[in-house]
Amino acid sequence: MTQPSSPTVSPDTADNTPRADTAIRLRGLYQAFGADAVALAGVDLDIPAGSFFTLLGPSGCGKTSLLRVIAGLDTPDAGTLHIGARDVTRVAAHKRNVNTVFQSYALFGHLDVAGNIGFGLRMHGHDRATINDRVQKTAAFIQIDNLLGRRIDQLSGGQRQRVALARALVNEPDVLLLDEPLSALDAGLRSRLQLELLRIQRRLGMTFVFVTHDQDEAMVMSDYVAVLNEGRIEQVGTPATLYERPANPFVARFMGHANLFAIRARDATGLTTDFGRLAGEFARADHVLIRPEIMTIHAADAPEVASAGDNVIHGRVRERLYRGSRMEYTVAAGETELVVVDDNRGQGMFEIGAGVALVMETTGVVTLDG
Amino acid sequence: MWYALLVLLYAPLAVVVVYSFNSVNSSADFVGVSLRWYRALFADDTILAAAWNSAVLALVSSMLATAIGTALGYGMYAHRARRLGWLIWLIYLPIIMPDIVYGIAQLSFFSRLAAATQIFDLGLGTMIIAHVSFQAPFVALLVYSRLVGLDPRLFDACSDLYANAWQRARFFILPTLQPAIVAGFFLALTLSIDDFVISYFTSGPESVTLPIFIWSAIKRGISPEINAIATLMIGTVLAAAAITLAFQYVRHRQSGE
Repeated sequence: MTQPSSPTVSPDTADNTPRADTAIRLRGLYQAFGADAVALAGVDLDIPAGSFFTLLGPSGCGKTSLLRVIAGLDTPDAGTLHIGARDVTRVAAHKRNVNTVFQSYALFGHLDVAGNIGFGLRMHGHDRATINDRVQKTAAFIQIDNLLGRRIDQLSGGQRQRVALARALVNEPDVLLLDEPLSALDAGLRSRLQLELLRIQRRLGMTFVFVTHDQDEAMVMSDYVAVLNEGRIEQVGTPATLYERPANPFVARFMGHANLFAIRARDATGLTTDFGRLAGEFARADHVLIRPEIMTIHAADAPEVASAGDNVIHGRVRERLYRGSRMEYTVAAGETELVVVDDNRGQGMFEIGAGVALVMETTGVVTLDG
Repeated sequence: MWYALLVLLYAPLAVVVVYSFNSVNSSADFVGVSLRWYRALFADDTILAAAWNSAVLALVSSMLATAIGTALGYGMYAHRARRLGWLIWLIYLPIIMPDIVYGIAQLSFFSRLAAATQIFDLGLGTMIIAHVSFQAPFVALLVYSRLVGLDPRLFDACSDLYANAWQRARFFILPTLQPAIVAGFFLALTLSIDDFVISYFTSGPESVTLPIFIWSAIKRGISPEINAIATLMIGTVLAAAAITLAFQYVRHRQSGE
């Protein structure tokens, strides 16, 4: 595991008092279900108060396990967990001021919408007038006040999602946990609710911890993203950091980078890789990452190619995908292939098999270890 | 073909019901409509005592079986992932066991127990215990199948929304199980009213129930009074079955959430 470079992670274990601006602090969290099923393999993480924080990773990476430990639904085998200044590692779920929006929403079928939203307040022993008042206000804030008398089986997917959100928010938790809350919705509704969730988080200034396996969703919504893999944190940072400066090949691939190549040799004037030579000064590293956007594609005999200088890769078009606003080409070069995108400005498409040249800006090339 | 089957099923019942309203004591001629046999029924102390015994047995055993069966059903759900969790499925033995075998087993068990302790004399008490033992598994099955149909995250949601174990049972588990519990109670009621074999073996001289009374009366021939009792029992069981089905219907609607 690479040491995370972001300021949001400070695994200096000597410092045991959480900072005032830290909403959640995890140290050495370990959890296993039997010897072969390690869900959390030592997680250190500081989640800044008031941030939209995303746990991102493939299925089985431990992100949901981590969320359940924060909620108190599972107890870790080792490690500590602070919410605010309080050590809640051994505190039962129902005594934590944390609420969860579940992936399946988990709404109570025997209660109507108002009964669902007011459930937490009722368990807390608030009087009926207070409960009604706060349920009303929250429902109005989420724009579901017209649904309060409905039964749960009369609601659409998007409406259920909003009810689940209101049921959690009405309790004014220190932290709101969201376990892939949008994954059951269709694409259009999903992107609308992404914006809405983000707006709600900004208006309340509440700490949101959001779990997803979708890197696009993570990038659009988050202040910070922690990428998890096999129960460990691979990297923590802003979406821009993760995309532009991935700490290792796993993060790079998970963020959707196809052009990741092992460096074979390095000298004062450049690098040698599978697709050929890359001129310039590069730091010592194991891999080089060339994002599709830093390359432009041209016909092999185009005038831009002649004036481009050193960093031109010659190859042949192997595959092309028409995506409307852009074209995506897979180009065979040297012993490997590169993916490049070309904005659709009406210039037409290269045929499969056509000889092309890729011109790149070396300032955008990233080197990384691992 | 289907109609033939229906006739086969319902014709004997129809005969019983129709002849219970016959104005003369004949099982061949239907002379006129009369409630005479019903009046005779309600004037006969032996029959009333048997009806009272049946009612007490059915109500008490069903209430006990509902409470015990609900707890069993929840226990089966809560421990379903345990290594020895399958052991609890042994409670289904009474369902598959032939009634006659079960009845004889109960009889010999209670006789020995009575001889050893002097308190388990055969009577309404032993009948209630015997009935509860075969009703409870049916209730448990209804409750269990309701629970496994639930999203397990609902239990997490209760804890997440500050409910302690007691509040979870009071405000989530019981209301959610309510349709299954009510259906289980009425199913238990029907099973108890129906039962002859197990009742017969575990009853004492003072605890004759309607089915047992009918069995001893029928040895002297089928009287119109028997038809009247049978008609009333058909009505009671149909009502209980209808209520069971009604609650099952609610249950299905709710689980469509």
